[in-house]
Amino acid sequence: MTAGAWLCLLAPLCGALLITALGESISRRTAAWISTLSVFAAFAGALIAFVDMLGRGHEEREAVTTAWTWLAAGEFHAGLSLLVDPLSVTMMLIVSGVGGLIVLYSIGYMDGDPEERRYFAYMSLFVFSMLMLVEAGNFLLLLVGWGLVGLASYLLIGFWHERPSAVAAAKKAFVMNAFGDAAMALAFFVLIWQTGTLDFAAAFEGAGGLSQTFVDLVALGLLAGAVAKSAQIPLHTWLPDAMEGPTPVSALIHAATMVTAGVYLIVRAHPIFELAPSIADLAAGLGAITLLVAGVIALVQTDIKRVIAYSTMSQIGYMFLGAGLGAYGNGMFHLMTHAFFKALLFMAAGLVIHHLANEQDIRRMGGLRQAMPRTYIAFLIGSLALVGIPPLSGFFSKDSILASALASGGYGRLLFAAGLAGALLTGLYTFRLLFIVFLGEPSALVREHDHGSAHGEGPWTMTVPVAVLTVLAVVGGWVQVAGIWHPFGEWLDPIAVGREHLALVEPTVTQDYVTSVLAVGLGAVGIAVAWMIYGSRKWSVPRVPSVQRTLEHKLWFDELYDAVFYNPGERISGLLRRGVEEPLIGGSIEGVTLGAREAAGALGEAQTGYLRTYALAIAAAVAVLVVVFITVQ
Amino acid sequence: MADVLVWAIWILAAAGCLGSGLAVITFTNPFFSALALIANLGSLAVLFLLASAEFLAAAQVLVYAGAVMVMFLFVIAYLGDRREAPLAGGPSWISLAALVAAAALLVEIVVVIGLKAGDALADEASVDASFGSPGEIGRLFLTDHLLAFEITSIVLLIAAVGGVVLGTRSEAEDEEELARARA
Amino acid sequence: MRGPDVSWYLIVSAILFSIGAAGVLLRRSPLIVLLSLEIMLNSANLALISFARLHGNHDGQIFALAVMAVAASEVVVGLGLIVAIARKHLDLDVDRLRVLRG
Repeated sequence: MTAGAWLCLLAPLCGALLITALGESISRRTAAWISTLSVFAAFAGALIAFVDMLGRGHEEREAVTTAWTWLAAGEFHAGLSLLVDPLSVTMMLIVSGVGGLIVLYSIGYMDGDPEERRYFAYMSLFVFSMLMLVEAGNFLLLLVGWGLVGLASYLLIGFWHERPSAVAAAKKAFVMNAFGDAAMALAFFVLIWQTGTLDFAAAFEGAGGLSQTFVDLVALGLLAGAVAKSAQIPLHTWLPDAMEGPTPVSALIHAATMVTAGVYLIVRAHPIFELAPSIADLAAGLGAITLLVAGVIALVQTDIKRVIAYSTMSQIGYMFLGAGLGAYGNGMFHLMTHAFFKALLFMAAGLVIHHLANEQDIRRMGGLRQAMPRTYIAFLIGSLALVGIPPLSGFFSKDSILASALASGGYGRLLFAAGLAGALLTGLYTFRLLFIVFLGEPSALVREHDHGSAHGEGPWTMTVPVAVLTVLAVVGGWVQVAGIWHPFGEWLDPIAVGREHLALVEPTVTQDYVTSVLAVGLGAVGIAVAWMIYGSRKWSVPRVPSVQRTLEHKLWFDELYDAVFYNPGERISGLLRRGVEEPLIGGSIEGVTLGAREAAGALGEAQTGYLRTYALAIAAAVAVLVVVFITVQ
Repeated sequence: MADVLVWAIWILAAAGCLGSGLAVITFTNPFFSALALIANLGSLAVLFLLASAEFLAAAQVLVYAGAVMVMFLFVIAYLGDRREAPLAGGPSWISLAALVAAAALLVEIVVVIGLKAGDALADEASVDASFGSPGEIGRLFLTDHLLAFEITSIVLLIAAVGGVVLGTRSEAEDEEELARARA
Repeated sequence: MRGPDVSWYLIVSAILFSIGAAGVLLRRSPLIVLLSLEIMLNSANLALISFARLHGNHDGQIFALAVMAVAASEVVVGLGLIVAIARKHLDLDVDRLRVLRG
């Protein structure tokens, strides 16, 4: 079990190091395959761990393996330790599996780019970091992984660094994440201070004895980190800009894995959140707000990737909602299915972009169904799964969350309503995208790029992963059917601390069915409305200019942050530079040099060249020295 | 009676010493300064004799006054007439500072010797007649102070070589001198 | 010892030394400077001989002889320098020889 975990963690790291070390001595294609194989090796390791774990009983499904003691300061110890339990194995499988498919896809997508080696080294680095995050056995190692994924995200968003927009987007992502990281670090400081340890089990135990304020602080810090990493409101503005990176990056980092790290954190640290119910409710509330806001903004986006990005934000809102209410199993279930269909959607979009020579504006697309029929099917399946139409995967996972919301009391019912509204919006924006891009008459651009079916819709490295994910998007949800069959939930149960079942809420069968009917119904309504507006063009979009403008400006969040944080910050730093740095620091350094020069000049006056002055100096010095010697005696 | 004589000779010698010293530093003509120095050396020789340093007195007259000063006079004769006003030229504060420094040195020497050796200066050792005789000096040079003797001879050799080096003229300088003499 | 005792000799030596020092510092002709240097050396000799008489020890006299030898050598070199300077038709003026100016 632990051997598999180590293989899983270290294989991508070795891949990244190998590519970096070999540099230009290997071909770009070789570097790409090294990276891909390393991630598949990681998947093999995860499978080994999974199979091994299946063969054990519930009690034996947890193992902590420590390489060495990394930090020892007084009584505080932190080891380089991995935790292998059902939750981490689930995440390992998702990250390495979906990651492997996406890296394989990148071979075709990034073919021809002059800096391919750097790209694949970064991708391997990212997979390694994400695996470290999910396999960490203590909060310290988790934070290391957390930071490293942020770094990998920065490097990959800004991969095409000649583009100023990409560089700016990378910086934005990194800075916003740094804010979350800082909050998390503060939470860890409180933990160390109060409980003296960062190991998961010991910290959870210790947290039980803390005052409510401290537990709230820790939970709040963790939540802030999760919100930043998962792009929830209010730390969400970086995710749409992150679409500047290559499409596989968006698929891997900003759909399937990194942005789900926040959900993983909440589930992993659930004992702390259970001790701080107000913060957990806050998490659920933020998730609900995000899913609505993101869905609304997605209605007016014109870039194909940005629509999918907002969709991601919205779906993670669902996951936060579930995790905040204590439906951890359901949240993780949705994480898994979402990884499948969201990566599928991104990769299908990538096929479209690739086919249309890097065009991403949907207003110039249309009628691609004839030219790319298989991509159309993939996109359709992904969209149906996203909206939650049975029997595709999204139906089972999303509805389970909504049912849990319904079963959680008054506040839960409010969130349930929000979730239902979100389902309607999801149907609307998803199928708006599908209909605009694929249906209707082929647009001018599409006709331009119509190569016929000779080239196929992409190389096999791109089409095979899409096919695999399509299958997964269909069957991935069949591991848990609400009310009847719960293998996924039972699989995760062992990580519950002090309880038999992980989930805090168990919806009744009635609630399950009511939820499903309502959710599917609303999703279908959304699809129908989208059809009427964008499909058959019988209705037109209501024109309310102020609303339109607000939505296009993403609810003015960027402008708000500019006004509150960036502009004052810029002014203050300018003031400091003019008032403090230049006169004081620069001035003092200049003062030192000027002073030295003047002193040297003054001392230079002593070199008169007159022999007699020198002799006088000697005589005077002797006179003075004699006096000194006498007095000292 | 003999005591008075000794005192009188001592006072005369001392006066001659100090007077000629002042003369050396105040005369304008270097030739006269050199002659004053010879007088200084002679007075010092008398003082040496009074202090039981016979060999040294002889050496002083023979070597210093006889050889060194003669060399000096040769050079002054070669250089010709160069008179100068003693205190003219240069920054004026130097003169004042010089006098102050010299006075300070004098005061300090007296004070130091007085402080350090004050009482001990009264007890003189008693010496026999051969104290300071050439025999004694010679014996010491060849036994206890052999190293000083040898090193001194090396120093003299080096000085002689140095003098020759400084004195030689190259061919070019010779031509130049001749041309100038003819012009 | 008949006549003045050692302290008188020492006083004469001290006065002679300061006279020599004043001469070195005040005069501009290198020849006179050299002569003043000789005065200083001789005053040191006098002090040495006085102390030799005081202690009844010949060491002071030996030292004085060595000083005399060294003084002679120094005069040789000094005069050689002065002659060389004069041959280059430079002014024999210590204030004018300022090549060492910083």
